[in-house]
Amino acid sequence: MNNLRILYHMMRADFLERTRRYSFLVMLALVMWIGYLSASGQFRMRVPPDHIGIVNSAWVGATMTITVTLLLGWLGFYLVKGSVSRDYETGVGQIMATTPLSRRLYMLGKWLSNFAVLAIMILIMMLEGILMNLTVGVEGMDLLALSAPLLFIALPCMAVVAAVAVLFESVSWLRGGLGNVIYFFTFLAALISTDITAVGNPEKTNNPYVDVAGWRIIGESVSRAAHAAYPNSAGGFAFSITNLKSAKLFYWSGMIWTTDIFLSRLFFMLIAIGVVMLASLLFDRFNPSRVLPNKKRKQSSLRESALETESAPVSQVHLAPLTGTQRRFHFDALLIGELTLLLKGQRWWWYSVAIILIVVEVFSDVEITRLLLVLSWTWPILILSGLGCRESRHNTGQIVFSAPRPLVYQLSASWIAAFAVLAVIGSGALLRFLIAGEILSIMGWMTGVLFIPSLAVALGVLTRSNKSFEVLYVLWMYMLAQKAALFDFMRMLPESHWYFYALIAPALCLTAAFARQRQLMKG
Amino acid sequence: MKLTIEHLSKQYRRDFWGLRDFDIELTPGVIGLLGPNGAGKSTLMRMLATITRPTSGSIRWNDTDIVTSPDDLRAVLGYLPQDFGVYPNLTGLEFLEYMAAIKGLDAPSARRRIDELLVLVNLVHAAKRPLAGYSGGMKQRVGIAQALLNDPQLLIVDEPTVGLDPEERVRFRNLLSDLSGERIIILSTHIVSDVEATATEIVVINKGCKLRHGTPENLVRMLEGKVWQWMIPSAELSAIKQKYVISGIVRRDNCIQVRAVSESAPSSDAQSIAPTLEDAYLSFVAQNGIRQ
Repeated sequence: MNNLRILYHMMRADFLERTRRYSFLVMLALVMWIGYLSASGQFRMRVPPDHIGIVNSAWVGATMTITVTLLLGWLGFYLVKGSVSRDYETGVGQIMATTPLSRRLYMLGKWLSNFAVLAIMILIMMLEGILMNLTVGVEGMDLLALSAPLLFIALPCMAVVAAVAVLFESVSWLRGGLGNVIYFFTFLAALISTDITAVGNPEKTNNPYVDVAGWRIIGESVSRAAHAAYPNSAGGFAFSITNLKSAKLFYWSGMIWTTDIFLSRLFFMLIAIGVVMLASLLFDRFNPSRVLPNKKRKQSSLRESALETESAPVSQVHLAPLTGTQRRFHFDALLIGELTLLLKGQRWWWYSVAIILIVVEVFSDVEITRLLLVLSWTWPILILSGLGCRESRHNTGQIVFSAPRPLVYQLSASWIAAFAVLAVIGSGALLRFLIAGEILSIMGWMTGVLFIPSLAVALGVLTRSNKSFEVLYVLWMYMLAQKAALFDFMRMLPESHWYFYALIAPALCLTAAFARQRQLMKG
Repeated sequence: MKLTIEHLSKQYRRDFWGLRDFDIELTPGVIGLLGPNGAGKSTLMRMLATITRPTSGSIRWNDTDIVTSPDDLRAVLGYLPQDFGVYPNLTGLEFLEYMAAIKGLDAPSARRRIDELLVLVNLVHAAKRPLAGYSGGMKQRVGIAQALLNDPQLLIVDEPTVGLDPEERVRFRNLLSDLSGERIIILSTHIVSDVEATATEIVVINKGCKLRHGTPENLVRMLEGKVWQWMIPSAELSAIKQKYVISGIVRRDNCIQVRAVSESAPSSDAQSIAPTLEDAYLSFVAQNGIRQ
């Protein structure tokens, strides 16, 4: 009983803390907008080539479920991840560690609060769906058909996302930006394993136990209904936000909830609990001595030297006065400082990979070089994500912003430092384009080195967090690698409007400058 | 060299003022800002350090309004906030080099100044180690060093002795006294002994308002003949606490020796004793009440 009380209060405090954050409201608004698009039939689920269901409660529930598992399955992780880190940073964790609270209970509490944050969004979306169905639905309201996919498919998926967030926070090297990047690819791998293209293909069996997002479960049912109405339907399913002029409508009465489906969804709830248990084994319970051996040795030698230093004899020192000319601003010194800040702390292998990429780019085929450039410019993601928000993350704002002209000097120096890093890291590709006489690729390259630091600075200043850039940039570069023309700022594809980004870059810089100025004015 | 503050106010919410109608003119010396937690000290410091903009009023540095032209002051400002961070991957030396660049020092001057400051704050041996491994006291000393990098004419230090061991604390107090010749130093703390040892002027602040301003001697003199010491049975302590401003108690066998501020002798056996700055401070704040 006492444990339940502890769990309840941990979950409550954490839940309240998070739902009072601006990021929660932003995500809630996004979920409601997606919900509106789904319920109003603007966000269409279709069975290729052009078969779509009649908008009824079941159809709305299924569309909402698929969109919300995609949105919250990906972004929800970043929204809920951070509660354990916060306990580290604020020192609350060390206070908790002195109580009888067990690792398992702590992790369970964190998981439940993560789950509650995600679940509340799904419930709000469900209410929105009910309201929309009552007002614009073409058929009567079927509460079970609308809500069941959200409850039985989306919620277990959220339980897994919440648990993975806890797991990532219990492992020190997954707690930061690297974990954010790794999760993107983990989520992508989970979706790919669903293999929605094989929906309706009798040769490929459906394994609901790998379908965490539940896309294939819904897809199978929808595809069957489409096939029954139009035997020539291709199977599988896709999303569309455009109106299909010659769409063929079919009636779908909703999911048939078999025991197998229920068991598979229960399986994911159990998986979530298993992941939380694993996290509790890996969690160091805020004990700084449970660190990697080499890190431990380094820290202990630091402590020894600290003791040595602290007991050193005191000597009389004279501080020479500075003249006015010595205080005059020197941009080169600041730029070196910003470069040091960007690159310090990177390990030898980070530089090795960067150098290998530069060399390979020079000697590769131009097409391969373009792809390698995407990789090269993704490589410093964790460095770039600190731009514009480093002062908030490390609480150095009061010191840095009380120096002269912080907006003109410091922000521009950090942008130029990032520009220099990207130029060097992409220099192999530049050389290759020069050799090949690819003038447009060179211009695309130049657009890239202007656009990327601008995006990083703007997102960093606006959100005061490294997470937003890490989340957006990894998706962006993935889409670029998939040759999505919309995301092409470096002229990978001839049909892309890459030159737009040359105009967007200064606009982003101006946005960052205005936002920083406002922050400085507000204090 | 002077810092003039007129009708300075900072309103955080409709019904909450961090500072209200604050006036003062400061000239070179160490000015101690004394006040309980939440009195408005840090709000005042942040406005003086150009971090926070006032809601109304003016701050002038040598007749230049620093609200509209903050860079005039920033070039000669040293600021140590109460709560600050460092970049964990940088060494102490690299962090100071970065801060020197931000403050606009040329490379040779920065190097010389950093060398001097590292000796001054006793961090020479740890200078080339990452800040992530520094203790709280060592980080505080890095903070002190960065505040002195540009040889500031206005040095603002907010709770500077937090985290320092007794030896370092004494060293820092002495340093402030040494530096105070041709600059204005504003030292904010609620540790009376820190101010007593260094300040040439003291400003007592509470509930966002200035209560008293004067030299330590003048403030102490205001309590001449009002500080008393006497023995009471343990059981009477809570009643005495209700009635007087208690500035000290010492347990002796079954009795308690009480030190309190009172206009007249609280008891027939009470002895008048010499007041201290702590007596004065507690008395001023008690008269004004604590902000809820």
